[in-house]
Amino acid sequence: MSSLDPRRLVLRNDVAELQRLAGWIEGFAQHGISSDVSFAVQLCLEEAVANIIMYGAARDERLEIAVELERNGATLVARIEDNGRQFDPTRAPPPVVATSLEKAKVGDLGIHLMRSFASGMDYERREGRNRLTLRFIESTSPAPE
Amino acid sequence: MTAGAGADGPSHRCCMDLSAEDLPGGITKVVLQGRFDTTGAVVMELPFNKIVTERRKIIVDLSAVNFLASYGIRVLLVGAKIVKSKGGNLVILCPDNNVAKVLKTAGMDALIPIHQTETAAAAALTS
Repeated sequence: MSSLDPRRLVLRNDVAELQRLAGWIEGFAQHGISSDVSFAVQLCLEEAVANIIMYGAARDERLEIAVELERNGATLVARIEDNGRQFDPTRAPPPVVATSLEKAKVGDLGIHLMRSFASGMDYERREGRNRLTLRFIESTSPAPE
Repeated sequence: MTAGAGADGPSHRCCMDLSAEDLPGGITKVVLQGRFDTTGAVVMELPFNKIVTERRKIIVDLSAVNFLASYGIRVLLVGAKIVKSKGGNLVILCPDNNVAKVLKTAGMDALIPIHQTETAAAAALTS
Protein backbone atom coordinates (compact mmCIF):
# COMPACT_ATOMS: atom_id res chain seq x y z
CA MET A 1 0.00 0.00 0.00
CA SER A 2 1.28 3.48 -0.71
CA SER A 3 1.39 6.23 1.92
CA LEU A 4 -1.60 7.80 0.14
CA ASP A 5 -3.72 4.68 0.51
CA PRO A 6 -6.88 5.71 2.43
CA ARG A 7 -6.77 2.39 4.31
CA ARG A 8 -3.30 3.02 5.76
CA LEU A 9 -2.10 5.73 8.11
CA VAL A 10 1.41 6.22 9.45
CA LEU A 11 1.79 8.07 12.75
CA ARG A 12 4.64 9.31 14.92
CA ASN A 13 4.81 8.63 18.66
CA ASP A 14 3.35 11.99 19.58
CA VAL A 15 0.07 12.33 21.54
CA ALA A 16 -1.06 15.00 19.06
CA GLU A 17 -1.19 12.24 16.42
CA LEU A 18 -4.22 10.69 18.17
CA GLN A 19 -6.42 13.43 16.74
CA ARG A 20 -5.22 12.60 13.25
CA LEU A 21 -6.00 8.95 13.94
CA ALA A 22 -9.53 9.80 15.14
CA GLY A 23 -10.27 11.88 12.04
CA TRP A 24 -8.92 9.18 9.74
CA ILE A 25 -11.06 6.45 11.36
CA GLU A 26 -14.16 8.69 11.17
CA GLY A 27 -13.56 9.09 7.45
CA PHE A 28 -13.16 5.35 6.95
CA ALA A 29 -16.22 4.57 9.08
CA GLN A 30 -18.52 6.65 6.88
CA HIS A 31 -18.51 3.89 4.28
CA GLY A 32 -21.18 1.42 5.36
CA ILE A 33 -19.96 0.60 8.85
CA SER A 34 -22.45 0.44 11.72
CA SER A 35 -22.18 3.02 14.48
CA ASP A 36 -21.43 0.28 17.05
CA VAL A 37 -18.52 -1.15 15.05
CA SER A 38 -17.30 2.35 14.23
CA PHE A 39 -17.27 3.20 17.96
CA ALA A 40 -15.49 -0.07 18.81
CA VAL A 41 -12.82 0.51 16.13
CA GLN A 42 -12.25 4.07 17.31
CA LEU A 43 -11.98 2.97 20.94
CA CYS A 44 -9.62 0.03 20.33
CA LEU A 45 -7.32 1.91 17.96
CA GLU A 46 -7.21 4.89 20.30
CA GLU A 47 -6.22 2.61 23.19
CA ALA A 48 -3.68 0.60 21.19
CA VAL A 49 -1.97 3.60 19.61
CA ALA A 50 -2.03 5.66 22.84
CA ASN A 51 -0.27 2.75 24.58
CA ILE A 52 2.43 2.67 21.93
CA ILE A 53 2.88 6.45 22.02
CA MET A 54 3.12 6.59 25.81
CA TYR A 55 5.03 3.40 26.57
CA GLY A 56 6.52 2.09 23.31
CA ALA A 57 9.78 3.97 23.41
CA ALA A 58 12.14 5.92 25.59
CA ARG A 59 11.70 9.67 25.60
CA ASP A 60 13.03 11.33 22.44
CA GLU A 61 13.16 8.00 20.61
CA ARG A 62 11.21 8.22 17.40
CA LEU A 63 8.73 5.49 16.45
CA GLU A 64 6.74 4.72 13.35
CA ILE A 65 3.22 3.44 13.96
CA ALA A 66 1.36 2.12 10.92
CA VAL A 67 -2.40 1.53 11.12
CA GLU A 68 -4.34 -0.33 8.44
CA LEU A 69 -8.06 -0.95 8.13
CA GLU A 70 -9.53 -3.51 5.80
CA ARG A 71 -13.02 -4.88 5.25
CA ASN A 72 -13.40 -8.57 4.63
CA GLY A 73 -17.11 -9.35 4.25
CA ALA A 74 -18.77 -8.70 7.58
CA THR A 75 -15.43 -8.45 9.35
CA LEU A 76 -13.41 -5.30 9.71
CA VAL A 77 -9.73 -5.97 10.36
CA ALA A 78 -7.42 -3.40 11.96
CA ARG A 79 -3.64 -3.91 12.03
CA ILE A 80 -1.29 -1.81 14.09
CA GLU A 81 2.43 -2.22 13.52
CA ASP A 82 5.18 -0.37 15.37
CA ASN A 83 8.91 -0.55 15.86
CA GLY A 84 8.79 0.14 19.60
CA ARG A 85 9.76 -2.08 22.49
CA GLN A 86 8.22 -5.54 22.46
CA PHE A 87 4.80 -5.61 24.07
CA ASP A 88 2.08 -8.24 23.72
CA PRO A 89 -1.25 -6.80 24.96
CA THR A 90 -2.96 -10.20 24.58
CA ARG A 91 -0.87 -11.42 27.53
CA ALA A 92 -1.68 -8.51 29.84
CA PRO A 93 -3.51 -9.64 33.01
CA PRO A 94 -7.14 -8.59 33.46
CA PRO A 95 -7.74 -5.58 35.69
CA VAL A 96 -8.44 -6.10 39.37
CA VAL A 97 -12.13 -5.59 40.16
CA ALA A 98 -12.41 -2.83 42.74
CA THR A 99 -14.73 -3.32 45.69
CA SER A 100 -14.99 0.38 46.51
CA LEU A 101 -14.21 3.79 45.07
CA GLU A 102 -11.51 4.30 47.71
CA LYS A 103 -9.72 1.06 46.76
CA ALA A 104 -10.15 1.41 43.00
CA LYS A 105 -6.88 1.47 41.10
CA VAL A 106 -6.46 4.24 38.55
CA GLY A 107 -5.42 3.03 35.11
CA ASP A 108 -4.88 -0.36 33.42
CA LEU A 109 -8.23 -0.26 31.61
CA GLY A 110 -7.18 0.30 28.00
CA ILE A 111 -6.32 -3.30 27.14
CA HIS A 112 -9.41 -4.55 28.97
CA LEU A 113 -11.55 -2.24 26.81
CA MET A 114 -9.79 -3.49 23.66
CA ARG A 115 -10.48 -7.11 24.61
CA SER A 116 -14.13 -6.32 25.32
CA PHE A 117 -14.94 -4.20 22.27
CA ALA A 118 -13.00 -6.15 19.63
CA SER A 119 -14.24 -9.54 18.44
CA GLY A 120 -10.68 -10.89 18.35
CA MET A 121 -7.13 -9.77 19.08
CA ASP A 122 -3.85 -11.39 17.93
CA TYR A 123 -0.25 -10.36 18.41
CA GLU A 124 3.03 -11.31 16.84
CA ARG A 125 6.55 -9.97 17.02
CA ARG A 126 8.14 -10.05 13.59
CA GLU A 127 11.41 -8.57 12.37
CA GLY A 128 11.71 -6.30 15.39
CA ARG A 129 8.18 -4.94 15.08
CA ASN A 130 5.01 -5.39 17.12
CA ARG A 131 2.07 -6.42 14.98
CA LEU A 132 -1.38 -6.33 16.58
CA THR A 133 -4.44 -7.47 14.67
CA LEU A 134 -7.94 -6.61 15.85
CA ARG A 135 -11.12 -7.95 14.31
CA PHE A 136 -14.59 -6.46 14.48
CA ILE A 137 -17.62 -8.37 13.26
CA GLU A 138 -20.77 -6.60 12.11
CA SER A 139 -24.03 -7.67 13.75
CA THR A 140 -22.16 -9.06 16.76
CA SER A 141 -22.58 -7.15 20.00
CA PRO A 142 -19.11 -5.63 20.57
CA ALA A 143 -19.34 -5.43 24.32
CA PRO A 144 -20.97 -7.48 27.06
CA GLU A 145 -24.48 -6.37 27.96
CA MET B 1 -16.96 28.76 34.21
CA THR B 2 -16.04 27.33 30.87
CA ALA B 3 -12.94 25.68 29.50
CA GLY B 4 -12.12 23.82 26.36
CA ALA B 5 -9.73 22.94 23.60
CA GLY B 6 -11.33 25.31 21.16
CA ALA B 7 -10.40 25.44 17.51
CA ASP B 8 -6.72 26.32 17.25
CA GLY B 9 -6.61 26.13 13.51
CA PRO B 10 -7.99 24.32 10.52
CA SER B 11 -6.01 21.13 11.18
CA HIS B 12 -6.79 21.05 14.92
CA ARG B 13 -10.12 19.34 15.62
CA CYS B 14 -12.02 20.78 18.55
CA CYS B 15 -12.13 17.93 21.06
CA MET B 16 -13.82 18.93 24.32
CA ASP B 17 -15.49 21.68 26.28
CA LEU B 18 -16.43 21.97 29.94
CA SER B 19 -18.91 24.25 31.64
CA ALA B 20 -20.08 24.34 35.23
CA GLU B 21 -23.23 25.72 36.82
CA ASP B 22 -24.54 25.89 40.38
CA LEU B 23 -27.80 24.10 41.15
CA PRO B 24 -29.94 24.39 44.30
CA GLY B 25 -28.74 22.43 47.33
CA GLY B 26 -25.06 23.24 46.89
CA ILE B 27 -24.80 21.03 43.82
CA THR B 28 -22.42 21.79 40.97
CA LYS B 29 -23.32 20.47 37.52
CA VAL B 30 -20.35 19.95 35.23
CA VAL B 31 -21.33 19.60 31.59
CA LEU B 32 -18.74 17.93 29.39
CA GLN B 33 -19.05 18.02 25.63
CA GLY B 34 -17.18 16.30 22.82
CA ARG B 35 -14.71 13.42 22.57
CA PHE B 36 -13.46 12.32 25.99
CA ASP B 37 -10.48 10.55 24.42
CA THR B 38 -6.83 10.86 25.41
CA THR B 39 -6.54 14.30 23.82
CA GLY B 40 -9.78 15.51 25.38
CA ALA B 41 -8.87 14.10 28.79
CA VAL B 42 -5.50 15.87 28.79
CA VAL B 43 -7.33 19.15 28.09
CA MET B 44 -10.06 18.51 30.69
CA GLU B 45 -7.87 17.19 33.51
CA LEU B 46 -6.86 20.54 34.99
CA PRO B 47 -10.23 22.39 34.95
CA PHE B 48 -12.05 19.23 36.07
CA ASN B 49 -9.65 18.62 38.96
CA LYS B 50 -10.07 22.24 40.06
CA ILE B 51 -13.83 21.75 40.39
CA VAL B 52 -13.67 18.40 42.19
CA THR B 53 -11.14 19.82 44.63
CA GLU B 54 -13.37 22.79 45.49
CA ARG B 55 -16.89 21.29 45.45
CA ARG B 56 -18.57 18.48 47.39
CA LYS B 57 -21.74 17.60 45.44
CA ILE B 58 -21.07 17.15 41.76
CA ILE B 59 -23.14 15.98 38.81
CA VAL B 60 -21.09 15.22 35.71
CA ASP B 61 -23.38 15.50 32.69
CA LEU B 62 -22.05 13.22 29.94
CA SER B 63 -25.06 13.50 27.61
CA ALA B 64 -23.03 15.53 25.10
CA VAL B 65 -19.97 13.29 25.26
CA ASN B 66 -19.95 11.08 22.17
CA PHE B 67 -16.78 9.09 22.87
CA LEU B 68 -15.00 7.87 26.00
CA ALA B 69 -11.60 6.19 26.24
CA SER B 70 -9.58 4.93 29.21
CA TYR B 71 -7.83 8.25 29.84
CA GLY B 72 -11.24 9.92 30.14
CA ILE B 73 -12.30 7.23 32.61
CA ARG B 74 -9.13 7.97 34.56
CA VAL B 75 -10.11 11.65 34.88
CA LEU B 76 -13.62 10.72 36.09
CA LEU B 77 -12.30 8.13 38.55
CA VAL B 78 -9.63 10.40 40.00
CA GLY B 79 -12.26 13.14 40.33
CA ALA B 80 -14.70 10.84 42.12
CA LYS B 81 -11.96 9.68 44.48
CA ILE B 82 -10.96 13.27 45.31
CA VAL B 83 -14.56 14.29 46.07
CA LYS B 84 -15.11 11.15 48.16
CA SER B 85 -11.91 11.75 50.14
CA LYS B 86 -13.33 15.13 51.16
CA GLY B 87 -16.65 13.66 52.26
CA GLY B 88 -18.56 14.53 49.10
CA ASN B 89 -20.05 12.62 46.19
CA LEU B 90 -19.85 12.67 42.42
CA VAL B 91 -22.47 11.13 40.15
CA ILE B 92 -22.73 10.77 36.38
CA LEU B 93 -25.74 11.98 34.42
CA CYS B 94 -27.11 10.54 31.22
CA PRO B 95 -24.22 9.02 29.26
CA ASP B 96 -25.10 8.01 25.69
CA ASN B 97 -25.36 4.29 24.86
CA ASN B 98 -21.77 3.67 23.75
CA VAL B 99 -20.32 5.81 26.52
CA ALA B 100 -22.47 3.93 29.07
CA LYS B 101 -21.17 0.65 27.60
CA VAL B 102 -17.57 1.80 28.11
CA LEU B 103 -18.31 2.82 31.71
CA LYS B 104 -19.97 -0.52 32.42
CA THR B 105 -17.22 -2.56 30.74
CA ALA B 106 -14.63 -0.70 32.80
CA GLY B 107 -16.60 -1.45 35.99
CA MET B 108 -17.20 2.24 36.66
CA ASP B 109 -20.95 1.79 37.07
CA ALA B 110 -20.21 -0.08 40.31
CA LEU B 111 -18.03 2.76 41.63
CA ILE B 112 -19.69 5.96 40.39
CA PRO B 113 -23.51 6.15 40.42
CA ILE B 114 -25.07 6.76 37.00
CA HIS B 115 -28.45 8.49 36.72
CA GLN B 116 -30.68 9.15 33.73
CA THR B 117 -32.32 12.36 34.96
CA GLU B 118 -31.02 15.47 36.67
CA THR B 119 -33.76 15.11 39.29
CA ALA B 120 -32.57 11.62 40.24
CA ALA B 121 -28.93 12.70 40.23
CA ALA B 122 -29.66 15.69 42.47
CA ALA B 123 -31.76 13.53 44.80
CA ALA B 124 -28.88 11.07 45.16
CA LEU B 125 -26.59 13.90 46.24
CA THR B 126 -28.96 15.44 48.75
CA SER B 127 -30.35 12.29 50.38
